[in-house]
Amino acid sequence: MAKNTYLPAPDHGAKTGVLAYLLTTAAVLLLMMVAGLLMRLEQAQMISIGANGFYQLMTVHGAGMVGIAGIAGAAIMWHFLNQYAALSVRVLVGNLALFVIGVAMVLGSVFVGNFHGAWTFLFPLPGNSLGLWSREAAAWFMGGMLVIGTGFLLLQLDIARAIIAGYGGFARALGWPQLFGRDDGQAPPPTVVASTMVTIVNLIALVVGASILAMMLVNLYHPEFAIDPLLAKAMIYFFGHVFINATIYMAVIAVYEILPRYTRRPWKSNKVFLASWTCSTLMVMFIFPHHLLMDFGFPKWMLVMGHVIGYLNTVPILAVTGYGALMIVFRSGIRWDMGSRLLFLSMFGWAAGAMPAFIDGTIRVNYVMHNTLWVPGHFHTYLLLGLVSMVFGFMYYLGKPARQARDPFIDRAAFWAYLVGSLGFVLAFLYAGKESVARRYAEHLPQWVPYDRVASYFAVLIIAATLVFVARFIGHLAHAGGHHTRATVPFGAVVA
Amino acid sequence: MKQPRRSGRHALGAGAAYLLLTLPPVRHWLEASMASHMLVQMPLLVALGMVAVRLLPAGRRRRLRNGFGGPLACLTAATFASAYWMLPRALDAAIGEPLAEFAKFVSLPLLVGLPLALAWESFGLIGRGFVWTNLISMQVFLGWLYVAAPLRVCNNYLVDDQLRVGWLLITLAGLLFAGWLGALFRGAPASRTEAPMYKTA
Repeated sequence: MAKNTYLPAPDHGAKTGVLAYLLTTAAVLLLMMVAGLLMRLEQAQMISIGANGFYQLMTVHGAGMVGIAGIAGAAIMWHFLNQYAALSVRVLVGNLALFVIGVAMVLGSVFVGNFHGAWTFLFPLPGNSLGLWSREAAAWFMGGMLVIGTGFLLLQLDIARAIIAGYGGFARALGWPQLFGRDDGQAPPPTVVASTMVTIVNLIALVVGASILAMMLVNLYHPEFAIDPLLAKAMIYFFGHVFINATIYMAVIAVYEILPRYTRRPWKSNKVFLASWTCSTLMVMFIFPHHLLMDFGFPKWMLVMGHVIGYLNTVPILAVTGYGALMIVFRSGIRWDMGSRLLFLSMFGWAAGAMPAFIDGTIRVNYVMHNTLWVPGHFHTYLLLGLVSMVFGFMYYLGKPARQARDPFIDRAAFWAYLVGSLGFVLAFLYAGKESVARRYAEHLPQWVPYDRVASYFAVLIIAATLVFVARFIGHLAHAGGHHTRATVPFGAVVA
Repeated sequence: MKQPRRSGRHALGAGAAYLLLTLPPVRHWLEASMASHMLVQMPLLVALGMVAVRLLPAGRRRRLRNGFGGPLACLTAATFASAYWMLPRALDAAIGEPLAEFAKFVSLPLLVGLPLALAWESFGLIGRGFVWTNLISMQVFLGWLYVAAPLRVCNNYLVDDQLRVGWLLITLAGLLFAGWLGALFRGAPASRTEAPMYKTA
């Protein structure tokens, strides 16, 4: 018989600021999915937007998805962390305002200035457009990135402030006294541990990102101030990789907080959990060289480090969280609804999405796979089935009108459509990668087109399912702020 | 009466240090290389301005801050004044023109150190963190500028001195960042002794 004796903390409704984040997320996600579909349709030769249009969409899609993953993750982290440490609503709203301004600058640079140098803005491309875009367009893009980064910096500083005020310092908030000393059972909750890790790595990433952006802005107008392209690439990938990694570490807080409410089993911060987050705090900052393995000019030790840490970093948090989710659900008598289903799916998406990166992180494999669609296959699995599932799971959970509310048939159908659509979509990427289809190509060879067409059909399915998720969230927005119990009670448990 | 006596000693120490920095042999020694000029003499002048503010009574500090227009105005003043002294031309002028040298010795404590200290004490972790992170990223940026500059930026210093300053600035940025993050790991001493706010089920 399942033991369901744990009584979770009361449910808090979302603040208006968090709802604003989630509405922005819903709108941007849908737009980015449509941009992605248009790119796949172009490659599938089903529409004709031209190479310029394709690269504009690719730039917006990349920058938009990274940015919105950050906003969505921040909404989840803020909502739950605010229950343990007093956060500032003004800073939360300020970050969103700066995000909107930054996005407007990026959109202006792409659609007015014709900038299409990809979201990675790799040096020296922004300043060497061969007349396709102006210096000003590149400057607006990088300026927009700086503005967005400034907003996130302020948000992370506020989180640091609240954690230090509540827990006395990052070391205590990571549970080091319990990890390195006697486990007195008083370690901080998983939400605090995860938020601390995210804050540490994001603060470092944002400072590095600001430095390289400022350097590239000067170089744009005064090219005589030369930048070492390898140094620029390392700094950009350090910033970008840490930031996008951190988004899923923010979003996974939804799993830590919500699944225990459905299963009536606590998610404990034991020594293994604390050790995994401490290890990842370090490793997530040294993993980025797996994107540089083809740059033979990098010091060998750096590439070896990327290879080894790429392997190691797959294990701690993912294994601990995945195993934890399985154990918390196993024989718990959980009654599934849309929120819990999507959150559980996200565990699969995260684990499955990490595997192609694990394989690509092997130097010999990387030489032949890194510039193929295998890599978009990795991060689309990770984001679509991992992070985005967490976000929609959180939205469904917040919008649930009452504990016993049942999900309509269309929502359950949308869940399966989303799962099938996402699997088909990412497998089309991965299989195309296995067949050596190059990535970042606007035009595809005739023998590549069938994969693109299959992917396009699955993309339509994903967008249809997402429309249902978003419509339901907007329809249930009035319930999202309410302080009522949302999780179903597992079979065999007593209603509290 | 222990506190005023200690403050008096500190004020005397700060004044003596300032006078020491103005002495021609010390001045010439510190200005002989770009690294000691930029990374020792100038930060020391700023630090003396900050120490002088800390020696004032709280009420006077508050009145001064309000007189400046509040903490943000103080920070803006310190930013602009320090930005001027980052210009290579300003460094050259300080060595070649007595008036510019006098302006440096007056403006760095009074227009950078003093307003910075006034602003600092009214900032929380967000404000201080924002200043730290900006300072660190701009130090990396400035260091790169000195390293990547295709020409000699100061008439009084050689290119290898300029390169040394660039790398020192980048190294210093790394050390400052590590120190700042380390302080956040340790946290506030007062809160370390408090029981954490755990939420129990």
